[in-house]
Order: sequence, then structure tokens, then C-alpha cells
Amino acid sequence: MQNKIELKRISHHFDTSEERIELFHELSHTICSGETLAIVGPSGAGKSSLLSIAAGLEAPSEGTVSFTIDGNQVDTLYMRASSGFIFQQFHLMPELDAIDNLALPLRLKGNKAAYDIAASWLDNIGLKDRARHRPHQLSGGEQQRIAVARAFVSKPQFIFADEPTGNLDARTSASVTSLMFDCALETGCGLVIVTHSKELAACAQKSLRLEAGRLEVAA
Amino acid sequence: MSKLKLVAENSLRDLAHSDGRISLLTQTLLLAFLLTLTLTSGSIQTYLRTNLDQMLGSDMVIESHTPLTDSQIETLQGMAAGTSRTVLTNITLTSGTNWERAQLKIVDSNYPLQGTLQIGQAPSAQQRPVQRGPSEGEIWLDSRLATKLRLKVGDRLNLGEIDLLVAAILFHEPDRILEGHSVAKRAMVHRASLDAVSLDTAKSRTRFLIAADETAQGAIEDWAKKALPAATLTKKYGGQHPLAGFWTRTENFLGLASVILFFLGAVALDMTNRRWLAKMRYRLAIYASFGTSNRTGMLIALGEWLIGFLACVAIACSLAAIAFGLIIQDLQGYFPGLEVGWDSLAALKTIGLVFVLMLTLQLPSFIQLTRASLLSLIRSTSEGNYVWSRLAMGLISVAILAIAYSDNWLLTGMTLTAITIAITVMIILTWAVIRLGDRWGRGKAGLLPFAFFIMRQRLFAKSAQIMGLGLCGLLLLFTLMSMRDFRAMMEGYGRTHDGNLMISEAQENQIEAIHTWAKTTNSSVRSLRPYVSAQLISVNGKSLADYMQKPSDTLATLKDPIRLSWSDTLPANNRLAGGKWWQPEPENWQQISTEPEVMTDMGLRYGDTLTYDISGEAYEFTLVASHAFKPGGGSITFWFQVPATARPHIDAPTRYMGSMELPERAWVALSQLWQQHPTLSLVPLKELTDRFDQTLGIVTKITSGYAGMILILALFVLAASISGFSADDRQKNGLLMSMGLRKSDCLRLNFYDWGLTAFIAAAGAIIGTWMSGELMYQSQFGLTYDPDVLWLISTLLIMIGLVCFVGFAACRHALNSSVRDLLAE
Repeated sequence: MQNKIELKRISHHFDTSEERIELFHELSHTICSGETLAIVGPSGAGKSSLLSIAAGLEAPSEGTVSFTIDGNQVDTLYMRASSGFIFQQFHLMPELDAIDNLALPLRLKGNKAAYDIAASWLDNIGLKDRARHRPHQLSGGEQQRIAVARAFVSKPQFIFADEPTGNLDARTSASVTSLMFDCALETGCGLVIVTHSKELAACAQKSLRLEAGRLEVAA
Repeated sequence: MSKLKLVAENSLRDLAHSDGRISLLTQTLLLAFLLTLTLTSGSIQTYLRTNLDQMLGSDMVIESHTPLTDSQIETLQGMAAGTSRTVLTNITLTSGTNWERAQLKIVDSNYPLQGTLQIGQAPSAQQRPVQRGPSEGEIWLDSRLATKLRLKVGDRLNLGEIDLLVAAILFHEPDRILEGHSVAKRAMVHRASLDAVSLDTAKSRTRFLIAADETAQGAIEDWAKKALPAATLTKKYGGQHPLAGFWTRTENFLGLASVILFFLGAVALDMTNRRWLAKMRYRLAIYASFGTSNRTGMLIALGEWLIGFLACVAIACSLAAIAFGLIIQDLQGYFPGLEVGWDSLAALKTIGLVFVLMLTLQLPSFIQLTRASLLSLIRSTSEGNYVWSRLAMGLISVAILAIAYSDNWLLTGMTLTAITIAITVMIILTWAVIRLGDRWGRGKAGLLPFAFFIMRQRLFAKSAQIMGLGLCGLLLLFTLMSMRDFRAMMEGYGRTHDGNLMISEAQENQIEAIHTWAKTTNSSVRSLRPYVSAQLISVNGKSLADYMQKPSDTLATLKDPIRLSWSDTLPANNRLAGGKWWQPEPENWQQISTEPEVMTDMGLRYGDTLTYDISGEAYEFTLVASHAFKPGGGSITFWFQVPATARPHIDAPTRYMGSMELPERAWVALSQLWQQHPTLSLVPLKELTDRFDQTLGIVTKITSGYAGMILILALFVLAASISGFSADDRQKNGLLMSMGLRKSDCLRLNFYDWGLTAFIAAAGAIIGTWMSGELMYQSQFGLTYDPDVLWLISTLLIMIGLVCFVGFAACRHALNSSVRDLLAE
């Protein structure tokens, strides 16, 4: 079944007390499951806003966004229930250890085998021996690997990643990048990444550049 | 199941953190206090009900301060299946040089109609039941009285000129419950024994125990309402219990205490809520990042809060059970046979009420939580402030509690007014000081301008912190101040009283004997003021019971006869508090003046018509003025005063109240005076201060416990304040140190921050305390408010010092971490 997100002639702006800042104007694009997409561009171009609109977190100022899951058009609530997120700041729960963090999405969905699945994922990402470590006892790379695993563990249709390697060194970035793309390939979900990293963008099947309010295929 | 487990795990994890612990302890303390209050009250009510069923000594009782006429007695006996007439009077009994005030019960041969008396041969002897009271020529004394007079069974006792045999030690009478909470020493004698002596006093009561079926009871009730308007009627079933009113008033006082305690608890909870909200927002945003819906997130948040509340219920129930057991043990001295009875329904109702109150306090946070968004994890979002909704919800929940627990609206209203004024002052001060400080600091270098700048940026959060600390300070200061002043008032009673022997009641024919006795013993009569015994029976034509249903101390006192005095000019120790003092024209004799608090408590207005029963006749007076006590010119002041021209119109014996100064050697001669005039009511100041000491002991016990609770909650507020803002402070310090500031600079900056916070909070607390004193002291406690400025300033400095020290210590502790750690947080 086809899962897709269609952005149709969307525009977005926000107002400050003094002026209106236009982010982009009449953009159209379709994101399908099974594909990996990178959005690049300078700071302030509106990449994170575009990601939020594509994920159904906020509505565009103009234009429409439609979500199709298993061939059916769905609303934002359903879409969000079928999505996962990876953040630049990792955002692991500080009071939970690694395995608890990983099992959390499954437990929230009522999966009784949550800990078994989480343990197997920990093994897959090479952090089995770190299961009982809290986030502050882990390195940035280890935290992000767990965050990536956490996003994929409940098998969403789409994953949205906001600067997932922004806080990591080159070597760790490569390892996290590889993990993300391997997981996306394995689960067949759509992966949308906002990034400044050319290396990371190069791993995606498609790379779009957002600059001066226009979206173009990156070279 | 998995979600439930997750909710439980989250709750337990939260409770292990400082904010969670403070919140749990605060809720637990409040619930335990209210549960203990409910359970104790429930036990006493059950006790009262049970005792009324078994121990009234008859089916119904009519009690009157005016003796019934022969025709009234005849009518009553005609309607009842059986009656027993009892007279109760206060006298002084003497034996050798020993003397003691006692309540004498003069009974007839029918007494009691139902139930049995318990007597014995010695105070520690086995009790035995008897069906009838003492025979002619006998007197029964209760064990404390016999011990005090050093009399035992078989000894003889003189009452005026009558010689009586002490025939038994009296332990219990079936109508004992009608004495309420009185702990007066008791004696009982047969009516026939006293034919030759008159024992009439203003406070004598005639009591009829009546045996009657339900129909007859209804007829007697109707008749008594018309024929005996000043009498009180108690029925075994469906009647108002004599002790119930007293206990309701005690409950009301405790209710007000719980309102204040709850307010303090609400402040502590509000401070911990700020951190709780931030944590829950973050948690729900993360949950949303892996597809959890807002609804599920909110249910989880609600579930976690609920588990915290259930944990608090479990601990509070255990604590309340222990406290309840201990209090009942202590109260058994006042209510013999009182038992620990767990009233589950009442306990559940209290838990339900606290649940509603806590939920009301939590509501603004839950509303804020519905706006938790995943977007906040991607970019910073505006959280808005919700200070006003928190404040409104806090006030609503306190109002709910006040409605449920307090019926002294004047006192509750005054408390809430003082709190509102203090909050307003603190808000104005906070905004003015911080905004002006910020304006002053613009363009200036240095840490103080920067401190103002930072506080200006966190104005809403800062206001909440200042209001919390200020309110806490206000409640703490007011409790400590009033406790100190009450104690000083009671201790100072002996010094301010005019003379060392108080004449609480003397009859006209006893005045000469008093003067003669004073002359022979070198004593001096300091003052003597005349009065008649009068009972207020109606206001504007409505009987007292119909006019006012709300229990109060004033109403309880007015159900018995009071002293009605007369004077043409305003007495030297009174000042005119309102209305217009009368001109002494004879035609204006039906005017009356009363004290302002009587007017307030009874809802009286100038122009109201007050009807008094004086010696069986009804007299009407129009309320035209109010008078209040002023120091100097003697200590005796009367609740009600009429013009001297009223006296010739009133047909009743004149009685006197006054004071004497006795030299040391005159005290032993007092028993001679009492032997001649047993009804003469003289209260040595030492006895008076002993009574005060006893009362003070109970008051101290209650207020110490209460102050202890207030102190614990104040500590919670301080801890919550430090804990609630420590993360912000750590982050701020970390950033400043990363910019090259030294630790000492950060400490100075924190010192300015906490110093300003403490100064504004303390200023608000002191203004609030001052207002409370001005509002409440005179009208509610009969005390002149004379604030000790030095004490208030010292307290202000101690508060500022304490808050600064704790803030300083917390900051110093935080600065021991490295910059990296601070930034990582």
C-alpha cells in the first residue's frame, strides 16, 4: 500500500511585532514511504518549519497538506500516530536508563514484549552492555543511537529527523547516519531529514535545497 | 496493563525527587490534619448521640432561669406522665477553713425519672447504681469536691445554718450530659433539706425532667414555646444536644485554622507545580514524538497525579489514625467513655473534598499541559504565563474549604481580606521595585543593574516566588504574634485587674455584710456595679432561636441570662463605638447599648428592638448605641447597658458585680463570709488565674500543635521555592561563569536576587500581619492591637537573613559543579 505526504502549494510565514517574515512561498512536493529525503539550506530558511508542516505538527499559512496511509487519506492525528522523530538534542528521558528509553514507545502502545524487543534493538545497535545506563552516563553518539533506535522501534511509516548529527563529531555522525539509513531500509519507512551536513544529505535518495523561499533539487 | 505500569513507575520515580517529595508531604500533611479533625469530630458526635439516647434521665427536659409559676407547673404536670423538679445553683461550700465553689443540684423525690445514679463510699471506692437521689438531711459530693474540702462519707457539712450529712460520693447522674462541657465540682441535696434557707442566685436554673409519650411531648413543646419563651427544651430524640453547639463552634475555629494551613500548603504546591509542569510538558512532547496522542498523554499525566494523591491518602490515613487515637485518649478526660470509632463515610467525604481542592489547584497546570507540543523539542515555543489562573484557582480552592469548614464569616472574611491586601501589596512592590530597578540600571555597568535586568526578565516567575514566600511569612508571623499576645494578655491579667478578689455576684442584702467584713479584715471594696439578670428572648419580635441559627460564642452566651447594667453617662472605662448615647430623660428609658462584636456576631442594627425576660416579665429596648472597653477606670464592662431611668421600671432584684483588695491575712477569714452567705459569688484572683492557666494550658497545647504545622509547611514552602528555581539559577550561573565571571560574582548576584526577593516578601508579610492585627484583634479577640515595631522589624530581618542564607547556601552548592555540568543541565 502506498503511504505518502503531499505538500500542495504551501506557503508559510510568521509575524514579529515589527514585521512579517516570509519563509517559503507556494512549495509543492510529495514524500513517499520507502524513500529517504534530505532537506538542506542555510539557517533561517525555514527547514524545521517545513519538516513540522510535513509531519502534521503545524498547518501552513497557505496551501494544503494531505497524508495517505495504507491507501487511505488520514488526518494529522492519525499521521502523527504513524510517525517517529529524531532530534538534534537527542531528548532521551533523563530519569530512564537506556533500555527503559527504548522500550517506552512500545509500552505506550501496550506491547507486552516491549523489553524483549528493546533488548534486541540494543543488541543491534551495539549498546547491549549499556542497557542500565542513564543518558548522562552515555556519550552523545551513544545517546543518539538510542534515540534513533527509539524512533524506529515501534515501526512508524515516516521518520522525521531534525539535524540528527548536529551535535556529533564526524566519526560518530557517520555511525549514526549509517544506523538511520539501515533502519529506514530495513523497515521500509519514509525518512525525512533536515540537515546542514553534506555527507548526511548525500546518503539520501533525494536531496532538496530550501533557500530564499524556494525548494529545489540539490546538486 | 503496560501503560498502567508505566504510569505507576513514573509516579514513583517523580515522588523520589525533591519536588515530588515536597508535594507529597504537603498534601499528606493537609489531608492528615483534615482527616484527624473529621474523625475526632465524628467520634464526639457519635458519643454525644449515644449519650443523649441513654443518659438524659427522662424523655425530655425543660430548663429555665426563671422559676415556673405554680399554674405553669400544674399545666406541665397535667400534660406529662411524670415530672421531676431540679434546681441548679452555684454556691461556695465550706468545711473548717477550706472552701470551694460548687454547682449544687437540689432534687426532689422523683429524681431521676429514668436511668440510675452512680455513687460510692469513697472517691476510689467501687461505684454502685441507685434509683433515687439523697434523702432529707443528706448531701452527696463529687470526688473532687470531697477531696478539696477534706470531707469523707460520714462527716458533717454546714450549709448556711443547716447541718448536712455527707452520705455518699457522687460519680454520675443520668442528666449529667446537660451540663455540657462544664467541669464544675458538683454536690447534690434533697429539696426538703433546704426549706429553711434561700439559695436564689442570678444563675440558678430550674430543670424539669419529664416523662411523656410522643404526642404529649409535642403538646408540651408547643405549650413551652408560648408560655416559657426563655426556657430551653431538650428531647431525647430529635433535640439539639447541649454539647453539640459547643463542639460545632470548636470545629469552626479549627476550620479557620485549616483554611490558613491549606493556603500555606497551596503556596508550597504551587511552587512545586511550576517544575512539575515543565517536566510533564517535556515528557508529553517526547511521548508525542513516537506517536502517542495528546489524549493518551493527558491520561497518563492525570494517572500519575492520581497515584501521587493515592499515595498521600495512604500515608495520611495512617498518620490520621495515630493522631486520632492519641487525641481521643486525651479527650477522654473531658468526655468519659469516648471511643475511637472510624467513620469511613466521613473520612471518604473528607478525602473527596481534599481531592476536589487539590484538583482545583492542579487545574491550571493541566490546562497548560494540554498545550504541550512536540514542536517545543524542535524549536523554542512560547509557553505563556498562567500566574493569574493559578492565583484564581488557589483562591477558589481556599474559598471551597472555607465554605465547607468555617461559619464564622466575619473572621474568615477578615483573614481572606488581610491575605488579599498582602498579595496586592506584594504584587505592586514586586513590579515597582523590579521595573524601577531595571530602569535605573539601564546604561549602568555592574552586578546590581544586571540582577534587576534578570529579575525583570523573570517577572512572573519572580512574582510567584515572592508571593509564596510573603504569604508564608504573613501566616507564620500572624500565628506567632497572636500566640505571643494571647499569652501576654493572659499572663498580664493579674497585673491589670482592679483588686485581688472579684465579686462576680452579690445580692443587695449581702452588700452590707461585705462592707462590714471588709472593714473588720482591713480589706477595701474597689468597685461595685449594679445589674439585673436578664435573658434576651427575641429580636424585632422574632424568638432568638428563629432570629439566629448560626452557632457562635455570642449566641451561646445569650441563650443564658446576662448581666444588664444601667448608667446615665458613658462609664469611664467605655468609649462610644457607634450610635448615639442616650439623654437621661425619664421618657427615654427603653434604650440600650451593646458592645460592637455582639452587634456584628448577632447581626444587630441600630433601631432593632431587643426583648428581655427579666424575672419572668418581658421588657423591650431599642438599640441606639454601642460601647467598647477602653483601658483605665476599672476592668468591669457589661455587654448591655440601659439608662439609669430604666431601673425603676424593672421589677427584679438588684445584684452587684465588683472587686476587692484583700490583705494576706484576710483570706483565711473568707470562709466565715461564705458560711453566712453561701450564694455570694467571690472569685479570688488566684483562682481566676488558675482557671486561666488551665485554659492557657489547653490553648497552648492547641496553638503549639498548630504553630508546629505552620512551621513545617513554611519549611516546605521555602524548600519548594529553592528547589523550584534551582535549575534556572544553576543554568544562569553556568552561563555567567562561562562568560568569565568569578564564583564570588555569581554569589553576589544571587545574594542581590534573594535579598530583593526576601525584602519584598517580608515587607508584604509585615504589612499583611499589621492589617490582620488591625482588623481582627479588637473585634475577634477583644485585644487592643499594639504592634511591637521592634519585634516586627527584628522578625523582618530574621526572615530576610534566613531566606538569603538558604538561597546563598543552595547557590554555593550549585557553584561547586563545573561550568560544563552547569551548562549540561
